[in-house]
Amino acid sequence: MLFLIQLAAKNMTRYLKRTLITASAIGFGLGLFLFTDSLLMGAERDSERNLIWYETASLRLYHKDNVDQYEKMNLKNLIEHPEQITRVLSKNNIKVTTRTTFSGDLIIRQNPYPEDGSMMVRISAIDTNRDSSVYRLKDSLEDGSQWLKEGSNGVILGAWLAEDIGAKVGYPLTLVTRTREGAFQTMDLDIVGIVNTGNPIINRYSVIIDQQYANTMLLLGGAVTQIDIAYPVTEDVEQLQPRIVNVISQHRQDIAVLTWRDLASGYLSLVATKRSGSSSILGLVFLISLVGITNTMLMAMYERRKELGMMRALGMKDSEIRLAFVFEAGGIGIIGGVAGLILGVILVWPMVNIGIDYSFLLREMDVGYRLSNIFRGTWRPEMFLVAFIASVMFSMLVALIPTRQALKMSITECLGGSSQ
Amino acid sequence: MISMSDLSRVYQSGDTQVQALDRVSLDIDQGEFLAIAGPSGSGKTTLLNIIGCIDSADQGQLNIDNINVTSIEPKNLAGFRRKKLGFIFQSFNLIPVLTAYENVALVLNLLDIPEQEIRTRTMALLDEVGLQGLENRRPAKLSGGQQQRVAIARALIKNPSIVLADEPTANLDSKNGNDVLNLMKAMNQKYNTTFIFSTHDQMVMDYASRLVQLHDGAIHSDERR
Repeated sequence: MLFLIQLAAKNMTRYLKRTLITASAIGFGLGLFLFTDSLLMGAERDSERNLIWYETASLRLYHKDNVDQYEKMNLKNLIEHPEQITRVLSKNNIKVTTRTTFSGDLIIRQNPYPEDGSMMVRISAIDTNRDSSVYRLKDSLEDGSQWLKEGSNGVILGAWLAEDIGAKVGYPLTLVTRTREGAFQTMDLDIVGIVNTGNPIINRYSVIIDQQYANTMLLLGGAVTQIDIAYPVTEDVEQLQPRIVNVISQHRQDIAVLTWRDLASGYLSLVATKRSGSSSILGLVFLISLVGITNTMLMAMYERRKELGMMRALGMKDSEIRLAFVFEAGGIGIIGGVAGLILGVILVWPMVNIGIDYSFLLREMDVGYRLSNIFRGTWRPEMFLVAFIASVMFSMLVALIPTRQALKMSITECLGGSSQ
Repeated sequence: MISMSDLSRVYQSGDTQVQALDRVSLDIDQGEFLAIAGPSGSGKTTLLNIIGCIDSADQGQLNIDNINVTSIEPKNLAGFRRKKLGFIFQSFNLIPVLTAYENVALVLNLLDIPEQEIRTRTMALLDEVGLQGLENRRPAKLSGGQQQRVAIARALIKNPSIVLADEPTANLDSKNGNDVLNLMKAMNQKYNTTFIFSTHDQMVMDYASRLVQLHDGAIHSDERR
């Protein structure tokens, strides 16, 4: 076995240029794979974090009858007496806040705005005292902004929304919506702050007002649409969900608990589609490099046909010859794999530490990821290891095809045919 | 030691069939230095290949050391060749990335012989074939004669009972050819190894202790000297 490995290693030096070119192709494919994997996983990790920090929290409680209706954003099936639940959760040291989310028309008028206009918006009425224990909006206020005061008619806008309508802190705006009973209600508000978060959905669509003010204006009677719970983003919400259900069910039977994954199912299916699309392209790149190694081995077989015949004549078994070529291909795979790892580190390092600023693109279009400016990569040592092993194993595997082809020839054919 | 009877071999060449060997019967004793001669297309290489178990006869029987090799499954012939047969090729067929030492030791490596024994035997044989000091050279750094000496050492290193050589001097000048034949003869006498070689070179025929002439796949003459 050791002899076969030594023979394979020496054979690799025979056509050094070709070996290096083939290994480079593998290395390029592997490096590109690691780079893209890092970028995709980094984008997914940051997106998940931004979803939880700004959009969904870790877990959300709805009235059971609202689970299939919450996207309609009307004020039906609210959670009555939410303090019963928040009190219990707080006692269990769970970070919790309440929100009421509903739709309405945002109306602006020329002067101070550039022009008259109206648009439908999603309005979140937040508990100004507890919201920052679950969400990070307060940390994302732009310069000159203030946080909402309890009971005030202040409003906070997402940065891109404010920019689109030409809004600034201090400008007035009007929201027209319906009360819980269905009557129209107009709320004249003053912009007190603008939030610029890492989540483009918040930046593009957010209109945030005080919950107490909304409670009075919309005749909510203290009811809310949702109760949001925060856990560190690394926690497995699928495991936490039954715990929360257990805690709440002792007090209330009308509440359903959803994880951020349930709430962001659209985002998750989009990511899955992107991932499979990227994997297909990368698979193709990898396939091309493997075709390269098959070709290299095929050429090696053809060029060493006489040697092959000599070795078989001397009594080398087909299995030993196969192994020698498989080791040789594995050697090329190792060189390519190491080159791929080095290239991967070279490409991933700036992605992790600097990233790519896509704000110009993300500002104009929704790509699905919850990222508003910089795409950063992530280190995935386990993927480096798996990709390296896979490149070596696949290289060895594809060598079997030309070897099988060569071993189909008789020894006399290998030696140059019978001259009779 | 080698006994063949009625060996026939037909090749298909396009639509026509070529009778490469036509009922060849021959007995070869241990330690013979036998040349198979004949014009091109007479069947000498085919006969050599069949004796070397790298080709098979369509008809007839071949016994080597009382083993009927025609009955051995092709996949098991590698083991037989590994133990019993050595080969010397016209174009040497050395592995260019291995040194002279490694080319010779290759055969012993296949036999799983301990490293120390491989070293001792290989160095001794390289000395014997006149390649002392050249063991670390790759084939490209050796002359044609030296390369064929390496090939002879590779054929003999495992102490085979038979060495088959297909036109061993065809790629050598007369001096180197003469040297190689002297070496083969010396090895034949020292180790009592049977040497069977194909040739159409008169000088090689003159060295042989037995000359078998083939013509159109059949034995034309069998002369002991």
